[in-house]
Amino acid sequence: MTGTDQSSFLGRISIRRNQVNAMEGYHEQEIEDLELFQKQLSDRFAELLSAPDDAPTEAFLSISWIRKLVDVFLCCETECKAILLMERDAAQISKPPLDRLIPELLERVVKAMDICNAVTNGLELVRHCQKLAEIAVSALEQKPFGEGQARRAKKALVSLMSAMHVDDKESSVQKTAERSWSFGRRSGNKDRHHGHYRSLSWQVAKHWSASKQIHAMTMNLAAPRGPEASCLPAPVYILSLIIVFVMWVLIAAIPCQERSGLTTHLPINKHVNWTHSLASIHDKIGEEWKKKEKKGMAGLLYEMQKMEKLGQSLIEFTDSYQFPGEKEKLDEVAAQVAELAEVCRRMDEGLVPLQMLIREAFHRLVRNRTEFLDVLEQGGPVV
Amino acid sequence: MDECQSAIPAHDGDLHVVAAAHHIVKALGTTKNLSDDLRKILIDLDAHLSLITSNIDSKGGKGFVEVEERLKRVERKIVIWESDRIMIWDSGPKEASDYLEAVDEVQTLIDSLRGLSMNENQKQKELLHRASSLLQMAMSRLEEELIHMLVKHKQQSEPTYIPSPSSQRNVVYNESVVSLDNESAKEASSKNSCSDECGEYIVDLVPEHVIPDIKSIAKVMFASDYGQEFCEAFIGVRKEALEQHFDILENGKLSIEDLLKMEWCSLSTEMNKWTWSMKIIFGVYLMSEKRLCDQVLGEFGSVNSFCFLEIAKTTILCLLNFGEAIAMGPQEPEKLLRLLDMYETLADLVIDIDALFSEDGGSFVRLEFHKLLEGLADSVKAAFNAFGVAVSSNGSLYPFPGGGVHPLSKYVMNYISMFPEYCSTLNLLLEDQHSDVASLVSEPQCGPTASLSTSCPMACHLRSITSSLESNLHKKSKLYKDEALQHIFLMNNLHYMVQKVKGSELRPFFGDEWIRKHNAKFQQHEMNYERVTWSSVVLLLKDDNPGSSSLSKSAFKEKCKGFSIAFEEVYKNQTSWCIPDPQLREDLRISTSLKVVHAYRTFLGRNPAHVDDKCIKHAVEDVEKLLFDLFEGSPRSLRNSRRMMKT
Repeated sequence: MTGTDQSSFLGRISIRRNQVNAMEGYHEQEIEDLELFQKQLSDRFAELLSAPDDAPTEAFLSISWIRKLVDVFLCCETECKAILLMERDAAQISKPPLDRLIPELLERVVKAMDICNAVTNGLELVRHCQKLAEIAVSALEQKPFGEGQARRAKKALVSLMSAMHVDDKESSVQKTAERSWSFGRRSGNKDRHHGHYRSLSWQVAKHWSASKQIHAMTMNLAAPRGPEASCLPAPVYILSLIIVFVMWVLIAAIPCQERSGLTTHLPINKHVNWTHSLASIHDKIGEEWKKKEKKGMAGLLYEMQKMEKLGQSLIEFTDSYQFPGEKEKLDEVAAQVAELAEVCRRMDEGLVPLQMLIREAFHRLVRNRTEFLDVLEQGGPVV
Repeated sequence: MDECQSAIPAHDGDLHVVAAAHHIVKALGTTKNLSDDLRKILIDLDAHLSLITSNIDSKGGKGFVEVEERLKRVERKIVIWESDRIMIWDSGPKEASDYLEAVDEVQTLIDSLRGLSMNENQKQKELLHRASSLLQMAMSRLEEELIHMLVKHKQQSEPTYIPSPSSQRNVVYNESVVSLDNESAKEASSKNSCSDECGEYIVDLVPEHVIPDIKSIAKVMFASDYGQEFCEAFIGVRKEALEQHFDILENGKLSIEDLLKMEWCSLSTEMNKWTWSMKIIFGVYLMSEKRLCDQVLGEFGSVNSFCFLEIAKTTILCLLNFGEAIAMGPQEPEKLLRLLDMYETLADLVIDIDALFSEDGGSFVRLEFHKLLEGLADSVKAAFNAFGVAVSSNGSLYPFPGGGVHPLSKYVMNYISMFPEYCSTLNLLLEDQHSDVASLVSEPQCGPTASLSTSCPMACHLRSITSSLESNLHKKSKLYKDEALQHIFLMNNLHYMVQKVKGSELRPFFGDEWIRKHNAKFQQHEMNYERVTWSSVVLLLKDDNPGSSSLSKSAFKEKCKGFSIAFEEVYKNQTSWCIPDPQLREDLRISTSLKVVHAYRTFLGRNPAHVDDKCIKHAVEDVEKLLFDLFEGSPRSLRNSRRMMKT
């Protein structure tokens, strides 16, 4: 996981390739590299799996957890590419079955780029939720707490809930439109036609669908069998699987365009050691997705889930609040407000870096594609 | 105010002083012609003094009578609008300022009530609670008024996408080098440059007269700690407006996957739209949006740049991703000009982008666009190289009929005649590859005596491309079996190149030396043609025995016959050949005529005894005339034409 681990791994491949390139025993060395790589992957996913379900920091599917996941992806991408391309003769990767596997990989890479952009748009929505929650928190923290503040908080929270339950289907564009400020108390002003573009802004493209992209990415994604499992098709499969998996988690966690029908089954080969933790994470998220999908929700992001729960409870409180309120109830609410404030704080700290990280992943995918294409076209080895 | 608060009198003895002061303040407040600031101070003071009075009163049990009275009064002013469907700011300036005054009053009351020590005074608490509720009501209303105002006054100035001059150019270069053979390339049109038309200007996104109203709402919302609500509402409407403008520019939302698969024709249109949109969105809308944010929010710390970023972000990301998709796509030669447009547009805008997003929060935007600019620079270089490769590798299986100007020559020359308009950009981008090419193109103008324009990187690259074109044409000329036609073909194409260079902006980059040299080249082919075609024919008329006075009849007859057959053969062949340039055609006919007709006339003149119709198939005049049928590109046979002449 750490940088030093990675650089030593890359150094190892580089030195080895230099030394033994034309020698006997090359294949054994490669198998050893691959095993080492898989061992590292296994450790990384085990660490991700070990995150607590509910904790103030570093919880499963929290912003910081997702950042770690994207980090794992970035490391894995670098290492996979090293195994595949470093000091290698292009002839090796342009013969069957790689002549089919690499283009398939690159198609997945392009789809993943669009998903990164969709998720970046989705994070804007999460940030909007954060802003609304912050308003609610600052109202609820007022002392003495009056009905005016209760109404202020409620207004922000109701907007928060509707922003959260944005339906990501294209058909419900108008529903997406309902924003915090279109509360339409004055029915005479109902004819404001805003909101339409708001939903457009988070589109990747018309008719684009995150779930369909994932579906397409899983096509032809099969674990290599027999002798192929220990040579070049293996890292191609690993890289493909990790890309699909990470994109799938991002889509499940963060709001993005058209997620209905998102598959909960990725073709993970469970018969190899390194996928155990990955498969467990997959099952866990898949279960969660099935539970929550029908309700229509903002995504499985820990902070958003937390916000939703706290928001609902606080709306109930503000609904029935009468000045000056009972001390006991006020104390209970104060704890919830503190919790919501903490969620906001973590979003404030984590969302922008996460957005940057996803952007980095995007750029990495772009570079990755270029490098593969260069090798395929020029037929020369990458140094 | 603060000093007043700390100076709250502690005992009843001071009551008189306070009452007297209050009285004076009230009297002053009725004075007309007070400045706004002064009036505000008096109102505040009034509120504070009345509170002190009531505070002292309350100890005497009378309660906060006056405060309550004032609260009731403003309550009426605020609540009355709640049942009204008409917006306050639509009702008139008086209503608006009255409302703002009422909100001010509530805020003053709240401040004063908070300022007093809370000695478990129930009445005070209750009043504070009522005032806060009233404030919330007013804030909610102001938020609504703000949104209504912003939506209502969204300016509808809409520079739409103008596809005119560029679309013409699309037509020219939508074909690729590879598919060129035997297809005519169309003439080039001039460079599309909308930058000259739109430039960089700031528009009023919201009418000037509405700004003070928006500011007044901002002021009171921020003062009451409702700044966040203001920002969210402001961002919401402005963001939507920007996206609407973006949409009007016809930027179809496209995924990267779609763009990578897109046909060149549609892609070219999309690239044009991007270039145009970048100029409009950054040069006009974002500049104006930034000014609006500064105007409205400038007084409230860094919120203006925060709001601006939030408003702009999604639109920017959309433009950015399109650029990324183009930069990562395969760089075919036909993309070169579109890529140059994109590069130049962004290069012109980066300074603005840096200025617009100079704050920390916007560093990401700055960085991304600088990265994109690099990416586009690489794409331009790649496409330029691809163009060079395409020029030298364009192959043909069959000779180009007639030996005329090959489509490749037309394509290349027309295409590169666009380059001078991108000269400074190309010089910048080709700089690092310059030395390699400069040494390849060992033209004299690259030497020390060369002028600046002929030695710049673009000039060397241009000459390298035309020299690739020349070698390719030489290759193509070998497809002709007839050596004379090879020369006609090369003459035509070299002549075309020289004409194109002379008649365009290319001239200074190629230089007179190049033109001289290439003039000499095509003239050489002209001479070679004459030699190959006509030397043997003229030779037939040559006197075998220069010593004797005249030929025998049979020898004369033989020579005449030989000449006729050879001439007819040439005629049959070369009427189908083609010299598209009328001047060049004329010149060649004249020089041929000089040579052949002269030889024929001399031959006949030397043997006057034998000259009669039976021997001589073609009269000198006929030959002279017939030569003018050559190179017209329409095959003729002499049997027909002779019959024609006889009848």
